[in-house]
Amino acid sequence: MSAVIERKTIIGKRVPKPDAPDKATGRTRYINDMVLPRMLIGKILHTDRVHARILSIDTTAAMALPGVHAVLTGEDSPDLRFGPTRDNFPLKSGKVRCIRDEVAAVAAETEEIAQQAIDLIKVEYEDLPPVFTPTEAMRDGAPVVHDDHPDNRSLGYEFSHGDIARAEAESDIVVEHQFEVPYVTHCCMGPSCAIADFDTTGKLTIWSQTQYPYNYKMDLAPALGIHPGDIRVIQPPVGGAFGSKLDVYPFEPICALLAKATRRPVKLTFSREEEFINSPTRQPVEFRIKSGVNRDGTLTFRSVDALLNNGAYTSWGPTTPVIQMRTFTGHYRLPAVEYRAQAYYTNMVYAGSFRGYGNVQATFVTASVMDMLAEEVGMDPIAFRLKNAQNSGEVTPQGSILDDCRLGECIELVAEKTDFLNKHKAYTDQRKQTARIQRGIGIATTIHNAGGAKIHKSDGCGTMLKLDDYARATLITGASEIGQGIDAVLCQIVMEELGIPIRDITIVNDDTALGPWDVGVHASRTTFIAGNSALRAARAARKQVLDAAAKQSNVTADQLDLREGHVVQADNGVPVIRLDKLLRQMHFGDEPELVMVTDYYEPNSVPEDKNHFGNLSSSWAHGAYVAEVEVDTETGEVRVLKMTVVQDVGRVINRLGIEGQIEGGISVSLGYALSEQLQISEGRVMNPNFRDYKVMTAPETPEIELHFIESDCKEGPLGAKGIAEIPAIVPAPAIANAVYNAIGIRFHAPPLTPEKVARALHGAPQQ
Amino acid sequence: MNIESYNAPDSIAEAAQLLQGGNATVVAGGTDLTPQTESGVRQFAATLVNIQRIDEMRGIGVMNGRIRIGGLTTVTDILESKLLADEAPVLVDAADRFASSQIRNASSLAGNLCNASPAGDMCIPLLVLDAEVELACWDGESISTRKVSLERFFTGPGKSVMVAGELMTAIEFPRCANRFVAAFLKSGPRPALEISTVSMGLSCSLTDGVISNVRVAIGAVAPTPLRAKRTEAALEGKVLNEATIQLAVETAGEEVSPIDDVRASAWYRKHLTGVYIRRLLNHVNGS
Repeated sequence: MSAVIERKTIIGKRVPKPDAPDKATGRTRYINDMVLPRMLIGKILHTDRVHARILSIDTTAAMALPGVHAVLTGEDSPDLRFGPTRDNFPLKSGKVRCIRDEVAAVAAETEEIAQQAIDLIKVEYEDLPPVFTPTEAMRDGAPVVHDDHPDNRSLGYEFSHGDIARAEAESDIVVEHQFEVPYVTHCCMGPSCAIADFDTTGKLTIWSQTQYPYNYKMDLAPALGIHPGDIRVIQPPVGGAFGSKLDVYPFEPICALLAKATRRPVKLTFSREEEFINSPTRQPVEFRIKSGVNRDGTLTFRSVDALLNNGAYTSWGPTTPVIQMRTFTGHYRLPAVEYRAQAYYTNMVYAGSFRGYGNVQATFVTASVMDMLAEEVGMDPIAFRLKNAQNSGEVTPQGSILDDCRLGECIELVAEKTDFLNKHKAYTDQRKQTARIQRGIGIATTIHNAGGAKIHKSDGCGTMLKLDDYARATLITGASEIGQGIDAVLCQIVMEELGIPIRDITIVNDDTALGPWDVGVHASRTTFIAGNSALRAARAARKQVLDAAAKQSNVTADQLDLREGHVVQADNGVPVIRLDKLLRQMHFGDEPELVMVTDYYEPNSVPEDKNHFGNLSSSWAHGAYVAEVEVDTETGEVRVLKMTVVQDVGRVINRLGIEGQIEGGISVSLGYALSEQLQISEGRVMNPNFRDYKVMTAPETPEIELHFIESDCKEGPLGAKGIAEIPAIVPAPAIANAVYNAIGIRFHAPPLTPEKVARALHGAPQQ
Repeated sequence: MNIESYNAPDSIAEAAQLLQGGNATVVAGGTDLTPQTESGVRQFAATLVNIQRIDEMRGIGVMNGRIRIGGLTTVTDILESKLLADEAPVLVDAADRFASSQIRNASSLAGNLCNASPAGDMCIPLLVLDAEVELACWDGESISTRKVSLERFFTGPGKSVMVAGELMTAIEFPRCANRFVAAFLKSGPRPALEISTVSMGLSCSLTDGVISNVRVAIGAVAPTPLRAKRTEAALEGKVLNEATIQLAVETAGEEVSPIDDVRASAWYRKHLTGVYIRRLLNHVNGS
């Protein structure tokens, strides 16, 4: 008899991602590395106009070039429409509406021939008057971007709660502010890429970077005029997504149309410059916010108007008000609140989803305004927040149910850990001196969906789990791995329930022909939703195994446990039988059975009603982040010295993964705060490269101190909540508040570039 | 144009012969050439001459009382040079702010100068060190060389006095005198991978509070890396006090002619010019 096996847990431990060794050693074959037999290379001719009628496209010379197999224009498929509001086309015919528009595409033997063919295509345009801002677009007589939207209006949203007029009239103090947040982009290390191949029966296989493979089929089908059931999506490893792969973009149907035309596999990859110009951005927004507060520090009302530049077509960017709204209306207690958003078509590039989904924009505003209001009433930022923070048991005006709200705890803990109040006061006093370097400290908080977000009819995920004769587990899940680390989390859950070591667990989640349905990687949902489904599947398998073991050994199943590949006695850890041996006995015994279970988990959240009311997520989480900065008052350079994080994570599953997500999120938000901006002049992207689009790099990353609040979420898998977006949301406004603390200047439009800060400090007008 | 012949000579003589006639592109580290040819702002000539194998163009040493650096010496070599750390720390400081490790490993010193960018990071410290460049060409029978003061080398953005067929083989500058101070500043929140918004170098001697032998060079504020002669004149022979510093700030602000571009506005470049000349002079005063 082997030695006693103690019960050990893998939950909360630091587990390296299973894909990490291959990525670190260069073994991973990303989609960009893939080559298929007979594969052709596709390339797109993007327009050089921002708004123009297409008079003619001459493809004769391109077609005649040896090695060219197909040249397509919008005239070949004028009726194919796609996109969330069906306003986009794979290849444009009639006119182009923005600089990223696709006017023709070629498939050729090599990259060089494809490029030569593109250069040989002649397009004649007649320029049309352009429109670049929502304010211009709403004017009477403004140029019309889409003929079927003569007023240029795209999506709009309205929410109202309480009596705003009365609240405003009764408020001691009413202030109004404006904010404007910029175009930024995802900067995935792997540029956009797709490989498409049709079989002889007309079924498409597409190797894709998508982060939502199942709905992707539904969204891609109309762009090709085929049935969604005839699309199989295979997901090789990707070099980043961050929300940029949550929609279909024109290059994907174009790649498939080229494959259809040539009857050969076609691969289409963006250059870095194309990636900057032709992939989605974060939604830029102009905000007007009116706030009321009483002298005792009680918030009385808030009224928000958000103006969105839709760009030329609609992807997910103009739907981000759905999430913006939850933060404006909830989070801090507001007796009356209203929010309106309207998107207008323009001749600009267009926004998709991007980690934080609207809450990045909203929290920059709310966290800045909270500090401004605290100062108005003479309170410190901590006391003012605590006075207005929502508590457990409250329901927000939009129906977000805060059954276990840790906002106050987050604020108190982060203030204590950073000695916030003493530093804040000392730095405020120090502003009176004129030192070259000024220090500042700032806090920001947010609320975010942490149990999925039911923006579709379903927010579910399916799982299939099997154990083989050697006690190896294979978990087939709908949830995609796009680098966020779900594979490690699912391995930990299977190991925890079945006692199977991680190296003996295989996760399969790269093929829609195999996997069960899932909404996709977004909304901080995958650990919560896919984790719950995996947990339930693992528990079903555990029950089947323990029932069989109990039957053999004349005990009840609850007297047994699974540990380190063995069935053991639960109370003393004495091994009963090796798991692989038991599985073979089950398989080859008198009543043969295989362990293969399925589960479909649908969270208890509900979609919003038409008034934007409903508990959209099964769980909500808060975070409070504190930034400490130094400002060089001569050059305007801002250096972030430290970021202290307190976040309600429900329960830590993979400590290494959660640290990575938070550090990565801080890096994204640091760029949003200080340096990143896609500079667009009259519709043209002026800095489509990493030289002039400045992402923050390792040396600028501050010291990071993490504190997790483990609230043990009732609905979450083993108590966990979704955690991934809050770190990309909160740091930027914490930095802006810290800069205010340092120099007494409020910035209403990130990024706080050295020049912007220097202009403010030295009395030069902002550009 | 397509590349018709590729050559990898291992001597200056051989390279100079290949460059005769001028229809040739020289490649060393390729860190400027590659992005320029990729983006189409520059085309390859028919003959490509890879000079990486010419060992006689590498190395850092003292020759005839002057520091001599081979044209192919990489920025990493400069960063790690004990000799330069002692003799010309301003050049090492600039190397430390140059691009990234990977680019420093590939970039040659001569390449950075030949690229003639107004923001070229090696240009500024070499201007304040009063460097000369050595240009070689084939005269039909043998190598012929000339030396050009770096101050007169640049003629416009991407343009220099080099003529077709010439190769920059070395860079030289005098060894430092006693009481010689030189320093380099470069803007940008990122310590690496930053094209200068403004960079500045200053060298001088300070004796009994009087500043002399002043050289000031400023990057990214004019069509070429700028030797700020008026600012130098304003400082020369003065007692280095607040009034002198203020005069230098004002003169430098008038002397630069920056542009607005995606990296910064002319206003900010002018502003930084004032901040940096003050910082450098305060540094001189403190040293």
